[in-house]
Amino acid sequence: MSDECFSPLFVKPLPRMKTQFTLPLSALATIMLAVVAVFSGLSNAQNPAGGIPAPPSEINAVDVDGDKGEAIEVYWRLSANDPSASAMPDLSTDTPAQVTQYTIYRRLADGTDEYTEIGTQTYGVTTFTDSNVKQGVSYIYAVTADSEAGSSAMTVMAYPVAAVMQWFDYEKSWMGLILLFISAFIIFYIGLARSGKELKVRQIAGLSAVDEAVGRATEMGRPILFINGILDINDIQTLAGLTVLSRVARTAAEYGATLEVPTARALVMTTARETVQEAYLAAGRPDAYQEDRIYYLTDEQFGYVAGVTGTMVRDKPAACIYMGAFYAESLILAETGNHIGAIQVAGTAMPSQLPFFVAACDYTLIGEEFFAASAYLSGDPQQLGSLKGQDVGKLLGGGLLTIGVIFATLEVIWPDMTSIKDVRQYIDGNILGSDGLTMTSVEKGSDQWFEELLQRQRDFELNQNALESGGIDA
Amino acid sequence: MSQATSHETIKIDTDKVKIILATDCGSTTTKAVFIELVDGVYRQTQRGEAPTTVEQPFADVTIGAVNSITEIGELAGRKLVDENGRIIQPATDTEGCDIYISTSSAGGGLQMMVAGVIAEMTAASAKRAALGAGAIVMDVISSNDKRRPHEQIQRIRELRPDMILLSGGTDGGTTEKVVELAELIAPARPQPRFGSEYEMPIIYAGNAAAQEKVGEVLDEGWIDLEMVENLRPVLERENLGPARDKIHDVFLEHVMAHAPGYDRLMNWTDAPIMPTPGAVGDILQQIAKDQGINVVGVDIGGATTDVFSVFDKTFNRTVSANLGMSYSISNVCAEATMPSVLRWVHFDMNERELRNRVKNKMIRPTTIPQSHEALVFEQAVAREALRLAYQQHKEFATTLKGVQQQRTVGDTFSQQVGGQTIVDNMALNLLVASGGVLSHAPRMEQTAMMLVDAFEPEGITKLAKDSIFMMPHLGVLAAVHPKAAMEVFERDCLVYLGTNVAAKGLGKPGKKCFSWELNGEGISESGEMNFGEMKLIRLGPDQTATITCDPARGFDLGAGPGKKMSGEVRGGTVGLILDGRGRPLALPEERAACKGAIGGWVDELELYPKVEEAIPATV
Amino acid sequence: MAHAYTPGLKVSSWLDHRCKRMLPIKGDVLVEVGQEVDANDVVAHTEMPGDVYPVNLANLLSLPPSDVPECLVKSEGDQVKEGEVLAQTKGIFGMMKKSQKSPYTGTIETVSEVTGQLILRGPAIPIQVKAYVSGRVVEVLPEEGCVVETKGTYLQGIFGIGGETNGSIRMACERHDQKLTPDLITDDMKGCVVVGGGQMTDAAIERALQVGAAAVVSGGMDDQDLRDFLGYDLGVAITGSERKGITLVITEGFGDIAMAGRSYDLLKAREGCQASVNGATQIRAGVMRPEIIVPAGSDENPVSGSEGQVEGLLEPGRPVRIIRDPYFGVIGQVSGLPHQPAVLGSGSKARVLEVKLDSGESVVIPRANVELIEG
Repeated sequence: MSDECFSPLFVKPLPRMKTQFTLPLSALATIMLAVVAVFSGLSNAQNPAGGIPAPPSEINAVDVDGDKGEAIEVYWRLSANDPSASAMPDLSTDTPAQVTQYTIYRRLADGTDEYTEIGTQTYGVTTFTDSNVKQGVSYIYAVTADSEAGSSAMTVMAYPVAAVMQWFDYEKSWMGLILLFISAFIIFYIGLARSGKELKVRQIAGLSAVDEAVGRATEMGRPILFINGILDINDIQTLAGLTVLSRVARTAAEYGATLEVPTARALVMTTARETVQEAYLAAGRPDAYQEDRIYYLTDEQFGYVAGVTGTMVRDKPAACIYMGAFYAESLILAETGNHIGAIQVAGTAMPSQLPFFVAACDYTLIGEEFFAASAYLSGDPQQLGSLKGQDVGKLLGGGLLTIGVIFATLEVIWPDMTSIKDVRQYIDGNILGSDGLTMTSVEKGSDQWFEELLQRQRDFELNQNALESGGIDA
Repeated sequence: MSQATSHETIKIDTDKVKIILATDCGSTTTKAVFIELVDGVYRQTQRGEAPTTVEQPFADVTIGAVNSITEIGELAGRKLVDENGRIIQPATDTEGCDIYISTSSAGGGLQMMVAGVIAEMTAASAKRAALGAGAIVMDVISSNDKRRPHEQIQRIRELRPDMILLSGGTDGGTTEKVVELAELIAPARPQPRFGSEYEMPIIYAGNAAAQEKVGEVLDEGWIDLEMVENLRPVLERENLGPARDKIHDVFLEHVMAHAPGYDRLMNWTDAPIMPTPGAVGDILQQIAKDQGINVVGVDIGGATTDVFSVFDKTFNRTVSANLGMSYSISNVCAEATMPSVLRWVHFDMNERELRNRVKNKMIRPTTIPQSHEALVFEQAVAREALRLAYQQHKEFATTLKGVQQQRTVGDTFSQQVGGQTIVDNMALNLLVASGGVLSHAPRMEQTAMMLVDAFEPEGITKLAKDSIFMMPHLGVLAAVHPKAAMEVFERDCLVYLGTNVAAKGLGKPGKKCFSWELNGEGISESGEMNFGEMKLIRLGPDQTATITCDPARGFDLGAGPGKKMSGEVRGGTVGLILDGRGRPLALPEERAACKGAIGGWVDELELYPKVEEAIPATV
Repeated sequence: MAHAYTPGLKVSSWLDHRCKRMLPIKGDVLVEVGQEVDANDVVAHTEMPGDVYPVNLANLLSLPPSDVPECLVKSEGDQVKEGEVLAQTKGIFGMMKKSQKSPYTGTIETVSEVTGQLILRGPAIPIQVKAYVSGRVVEVLPEEGCVVETKGTYLQGIFGIGGETNGSIRMACERHDQKLTPDLITDDMKGCVVVGGGQMTDAAIERALQVGAAAVVSGGMDDQDLRDFLGYDLGVAITGSERKGITLVITEGFGDIAMAGRSYDLLKAREGCQASVNGATQIRAGVMRPEIIVPAGSDENPVSGSEGQVEGLLEPGRPVRIIRDPYFGVIGQVSGLPHQPAVLGSGSKARVLEVKLDSGESVVIPRANVELIEG
């Protein structure tokens, strides 16, 4: 239940990373680039220029890793007239050849069409992602440096490139490993819980307080009020609240106290009735169960609050228990409860409402504690096991965070220590970033990268040729 | 003493009192003590003992009392009892005494059943009231004790209490639940212990608004219903005094009046006869109040162990039925488990054979250990019995439950549940021991070590034992003549064993625990304690000294972890015990290591004679 | 030490024994003074008020408790059977009536307006008190019980399990120190009081249970076996209410100890006679020990000469049993009574006595650790 909603740093975002975050990010980048392009265009408009800039010195392209073959990344070297090329760009002088943007062209490698413009990139930037490619089709890219005066000659790629589909995106290998690790622990702990081993859950003060609250109500001869939040049954917090209700009802049945449950949703009322009846049965007091005490008020948020506070002021319950999702009504309810002198126990995962509950209630189950309480109460091995497994994840996340902070700090103190920098970069780039498992990868677009890539492509070509000629020889 | 308020106490001119006589009629023996004014201070000078004569063939408690007093009379050379078997009062130069008082636990003491609505709330308060009055609580009936009503009725029927204390509900609180409890008692019709003519006294100390209805339900010929103020008027406060006083009244009027010979004894005494444990509780409260200290007292008997504590002026008493050294010894071994008992023994023993020995002691409770091994084993059992009894006491002596808490946002991560124990070993100043195995140990060191091992006192704690089990006598005397009671308590009742200085916290064996410096008359020593070590420094009974301790990181001697602390220590028959074993006390899991550790402590404290020194049993 | 010795267990070949047979509550006594009764005769009987069952009508019918009395169909004092309607609500315009049936059979004792609770008293439980021993009624306590007197052999054990039973004595062991093993118990011992010698083994107990013996009496048993037999570790020596189908009595103590020769000989002499055995033990103030009573036939005469010594006096020459390790279970004779307390091996000082063991050895024992063998 809980891993869906409130989970440690590392568990939840993982499954979504690929499907949701990668794509919108690239889209966002494109928009931003476009905006920058417009601005740069504007600024350049004030500097009328002449002359044709030098072309970008080199161009190459690679298939984007870890996708289904729908994008190719193009890299080039800045033109000599690019204002960012020199360390101190001199923007004041009106060099006519000053590059304002690069235009990227593409044609099919088989030569069946001409170069067509596929996009532009502002000056100072050396990459472009072409996401409008067909899988398995080879392209040749070209780029020109443009100025007010006109465009340079095309720099054309030496070898064609094709977008290929990969089965796995290795960029997030670390995340995958961590996910596997945590999942393994969750499964391990679920298994452990199933085998009957007692999994220790820290004593939650708010939960132990339930007995006290119910006892107080019994001694004072007043009812217990249980509010299951104001959301419907499909909300995970409402469900967790129902597990706690079951426990409260059971205690109430054992103690012989009366339990009152006004609900804001009809479905919650039905479920609550079932839950409470079952609890009374389990406590061996089915005769003490009173169905009428669990009733539906209204769906309207403040209509409901008015109804509940009215009941509170009239009946003066000795214990008020709030378990579920709450909004603005939290403080109204908790304050009223405090005013009538009730022992109050609250539990919610609404971060904005927690401070109110903490201040006005005797005991509060904070965020995940609430789900932990639910898991603990239900005694369900699945819930208990995942609770325990996630703790391992939290531990791991906390550990990584600490190490990262330490190295980042050290890096500031000793900026020259490369080993410290390497570790920091590895955490930053590989574990948290998108560099996958490989230790040091050459930065894309760097000189070395161009050289290596070209060499690879040449080697490949040579191999192909050798194979072909060898084949003929044979 | 509140107990005396509701009784008619004969006005005594305390300044003129010279001779005081006190008896305690226990279930097997009646003990008498004789207190005289010697050179301006009250001293206990003589003692006498005789078998208690409540049961057949004598069936008159006064015979035993007179026998014990006669013994004193012979020793003191004073005629205390006249020809008619009456105590001579007031004292003349050669005869009689000025004050005569008595306590009683004969016939099993005062046995009560209590009932309340919620076990942790009003029922717990009712139990506290009953225990504080010196009763043995046979069972606690409550709405949430997980028993079905007919099972509860069955249970009430089986019990044969001397009286019932019914409580429940705050004032203006639940009526229904309290009446329900009354409805359980009425049809159950518990049989009293003393004959069928006896009217069962029921004290109602619950919701004032329910008095009338409870009265209607319990309006039966065989019930003598008494109403007192609610002992828990609001959940935030207890009001045990009225219920406690009423229990004493009823004890005298009903229970004692039906026990053979007590009507006569009651006429003789100058203060109401009290249940023995109630009197012990009174004297401890008196000490705690007078000296402003926290006290724990323990009385380990053959069948039960009583623990008394006064922390921050709050008195608590628990009776651990079935934790004792003879009738219940087998139960101690069963509850603590044999390995737990044996970890205190520094040599190997055959477990199967021991089990038989334990059972043999159970079926022949009056035997005493003859051999060295038997003594060591019996003292190991005593440690476990005391430890378990103290654990039960800690669980019972708590703050009130069911109280509304006031919170601030600062409490977010430190929410504490109500009902935390108030027993704090660091705040404990004085630990008093009594009961056979503790007071009759051949060496005082053994008594001291049993106390330290079982109670694990922290910081500076004085250890004492009740020399001849005189606390009950003094408890009653405190109600009549507080000055005499206090003087005798300090001078003759308590035998100071010494002081224990122990650090709280855990560390690695052999690493520094704390360094210490001792300065006082004729003594100036210093040294360092490593974790897991113990040291005994002989310090005479009248010697005091100042100790300054500097604990290592993570160890606390009362001033906070790692903070320097100094305080006064008092010597005694044993001396000053420096305990570097840390708290909570953890013995090595592994048997050989455990044996070694215990052996080391035994040697350091000279607990037992070396085996070759032991006197052979054969001649 | 207030007592110089522990009173011993009674072992007597000829004793007037009086058994008080009492009802737990008042009832009818069925015998008269002077009447001869058999062990299995019922001497008194009564009916114990039945169990109490509260039925919360207010909750069951969703009513305020004060409305409960007017909805009752039955009234206080009525007999109701299980399934009979107890109460019915008025309903709305005579419709939608709700009714509650009685969950038990019994009598309605009370109905409360405060709690809405109806108290149902189940049928009375008949209680019969048997004579337990064969003998003669010597006293009748009207409505309460009677006293049965019998003459015969009387033995007290040290510890027992199980309640009252009776059967004819069968000797299983040939010597007083022979272990009671399963092979010694034969199928024809059904309903008998099986007498062993030394330790009774768990297998022997199992076997006795299997053949349906009424009781097993022997010298000792192992604590481990006791625990296995009971299924729990006995904490406090209060027994007698176990329902194990057999009564066990040990005469000496726990461990491998032989039955005292005298006890064994006494039982052997009465082999075949009807014996009453009670395993109930209570070691508290008011000690109760298990017992074996073998009433003498009407034609038997007292065996004279057995009451040679004054009871309860510790003096040289008296037989004593040592009841504490290291000489546990050993029997000897008092050979000396030093006045001064002596220091024991444990370091304690206590009053002691010297005991000459049967083996000829002489040992010093604290006085608290011996018991007299009374006759």
